[in-house]
Amino acid sequence: MRFDRDPIIEALRKIVPADRVLSGRERVAPFECDALPVYRASPRAVVLVRSEAEVVAVAKLCRRQRVPLVTRGAGTGLSAGARPLERGVLLVTSGMDRILSVNPDSMTARLEPGVVNLQISRAAAAHGLYYAPDPSSQIACSIGGNVAENAGGVHCLKYGVTVQNVTGLRLVTADGEILTLGSDCLAQPGYDLLALVHGSEGGLGIVTEVTVGLTQKPAQTRTLMADFSTVRAAADAVSTIVRAGVVPAALEMMDALAIEATEQFCHAGYALDAAAILLIDLDGQPEEVAAELALVESVLANSGASRVQCAASDAQRELWWKGRKSAFPAVGRLSPDYYCIDGTVPRRRIGDVLEAIDRFARHYRLRVANVFHAGDGNLHPIIMFDGRERDALDRVEHLAADILEYCIEVGGTITGEHGVGLEKIDQMAVQFGDAEIAQFLAVKDALDPDRLLNPDKLIPTLAHCQEYRMLRKSDG
Amino acid sequence: MAERDCSLQLQEQVQRQLQSGAGEGLDIAGGASRTGFNLAVGENPLSLAEHAGVIDYQPDELMLKVRSGTSLASLEKLLAAEGQGFAADIPRPGAGSTIGGAVATGWDGPARVFGLSLRDVVIGCRMLNGRGEIVNFGGQVMKNVAGYDLSRLQVGALGTLGVLLDVTLRLWPQPEYSLTRSFVASVDDLPQWWQKTRLLRPLISGACHCGDRLYLRLSGRRAAVVPLLDSLGGEDSDFDWCAVRDLRHRFFSAEQLACVYLPRAMPFEPRSGTAMVDWEGARVWVADGDHGALQRQAAELGGFVRILRGRVLAAAGGGEDWHRRIKRAFDPEGLFNRDLYRTHFGGAEV
Repeated sequence: MRFDRDPIIEALRKIVPADRVLSGRERVAPFECDALPVYRASPRAVVLVRSEAEVVAVAKLCRRQRVPLVTRGAGTGLSAGARPLERGVLLVTSGMDRILSVNPDSMTARLEPGVVNLQISRAAAAHGLYYAPDPSSQIACSIGGNVAENAGGVHCLKYGVTVQNVTGLRLVTADGEILTLGSDCLAQPGYDLLALVHGSEGGLGIVTEVTVGLTQKPAQTRTLMADFSTVRAAADAVSTIVRAGVVPAALEMMDALAIEATEQFCHAGYALDAAAILLIDLDGQPEEVAAELALVESVLANSGASRVQCAASDAQRELWWKGRKSAFPAVGRLSPDYYCIDGTVPRRRIGDVLEAIDRFARHYRLRVANVFHAGDGNLHPIIMFDGRERDALDRVEHLAADILEYCIEVGGTITGEHGVGLEKIDQMAVQFGDAEIAQFLAVKDALDPDRLLNPDKLIPTLAHCQEYRMLRKSDG
Repeated sequence: MAERDCSLQLQEQVQRQLQSGAGEGLDIAGGASRTGFNLAVGENPLSLAEHAGVIDYQPDELMLKVRSGTSLASLEKLLAAEGQGFAADIPRPGAGSTIGGAVATGWDGPARVFGLSLRDVVIGCRMLNGRGEIVNFGGQVMKNVAGYDLSRLQVGALGTLGVLLDVTLRLWPQPEYSLTRSFVASVDDLPQWWQKTRLLRPLISGACHCGDRLYLRLSGRRAAVVPLLDSLGGEDSDFDWCAVRDLRHRFFSAEQLACVYLPRAMPFEPRSGTAMVDWEGARVWVADGDHGALQRQAAELGGFVRILRGRVLAAAGGGEDWHRRIKRAFDPEGLFNRDLYRTHFGGAEV
């Protein structure tokens, strides 16, 4: 076969056993996209690595041959950050999935990048510890990908996102050198390179080991559910709770469409006549939880909640959360296709933004369900559409662009946790000016001078920015 | 508090320096409260003291956006009036300590081990880079992954990458109740104590061993703290946590001062000098020790040393090449804080 004579593929087969180098359209098909399948490409080769030494060798090969290198973890990303390049190599780290150690004394765990997020907490459970960041995809997503995207989750409001819960990394650079960043310590010497790598979407290096900080399991968790007859009242209650001096472990919101979809899907017991519900987790020492529970209940009552319930048992808590966590597939069942977006806005603007989304959606003749991290102001509007309609995807893309740009307008950002990838590369031109984009590119060029690591993602070129700004202007 | 936006004047000064072609550097000066800790301001100061004032404070958002020359003392007062504080324990070594200086040094106080560090709570910044441009990174929301995280990169960069103009920080509700207990304890007792303090989470907010006593601070809802204190025993104490946070405690007046960072719960005793153990053992201050020996001892245990008084040692670790490249990406002419860059980042010529 002609493909097999590709010198890159030949060279890759000298680095790893031949059965871990995939080439040819059919064999690479499962790797054409991440969890945002609208963006696809067939890579020149896929290499499934099992060790840091293999990563180093692949990086050096790509550097020598000037071949772009895209890294993929579990492929659960939602911004096409792991979409391959046709001329490039796709390096897959999901096979590097060993938990190297769990150290209850230092409250850390050392992991290979392919370890699945939920496995960390399972391994730490015996010591009364867990790993706090919990993206919705936690049963499948890998810690290496979590670092690349700086993943969030439901419990970030109190416990932070990935960057606040990782203490050390090993990274293979574009030159194929190994860098050790951070450690088991609670500080690091020099520049905060650890922070720089978080959310860099594989564009500055390839993560080969992650040391995460573990958190003591709370003695108690209680869950409240509040029903509201208007979206605005629910949104305003979110700010009022925080203003009252309580930082809940989780503070989530679902609107009527999301409630309807999830209730059909898993019968969690949500109120079908509510315009919005809030789900609130309070955790800590029992006395502390009791005090905060009373405080939050009274805030909710004064904020116009039509009903406030406290989960009577762990089973009920889990059922309420199961509904929330299955909201995306549940909405998916109501519609042939759906598209989930991810912007963050200041909490006090949630109500305005939800009303604007409703307005924009009607303009484009689309329906949008909202289920999101209200405490963080992190919205996940789910646009429902039918891809068989000729102009549907075009309308969806315009609606998504309008929503994200409105998030910027009210002081927010185009992505809270899903990343820019390819998906939001246009909106980077709106959120940032040329001086900022140029500074991002200067950092990229300093650390990856040939722009081989996941090029064309996260940071657009200045020319692309100018083009997009002109286009939006002419769109009006 | 004087409120003034000096961004444009500062930008002019930077641009003038760039255009002069004299090749001189600029040394960024805040409240000059850390000069006694190996952070002396160089010969050609660019003062940020006038660039002060709150730009936006939203108690609902737990967010504060402020000019970098604003004093920490004034901010603490402002936040306390709303029942809030910074989400990290931020040292202020002098009355004039500024928020910009705090971010540039990136130091943390005793509560860090039980919560967030300063770098965790910086969510945005506006700065002047070495091309004389004003650039904005991050924003006012906690979750934000648009572009590289260049605002967090400024924390601890000692102003070597540019002039911080404004910073945006995350806040936290102040604890309802806080109390300190003291216990007679030797250094040898500490490993056992750290097993016990583990069980005091999340209500513990300080664990420091000084002299022959261990001081533990509990903070949280009164209803939760009081019963825990009863079970803990010890004596009520007025231990001055702020004096440790701000390096004002008499321990810090030593002629040679080092800070050893270690993995948590790692038993450590310096071979020379006297020690104060902070952060549940994850940070040990050493007065008048042998810094070379301390560095070797820390490295063996997976830690590192920061010298606050005495000759700074060459940095260990693997990031030097990246330091040089990042410095050049922000400050191609090597304009800012040359002495600090050379001393603290192992800086070869830019």
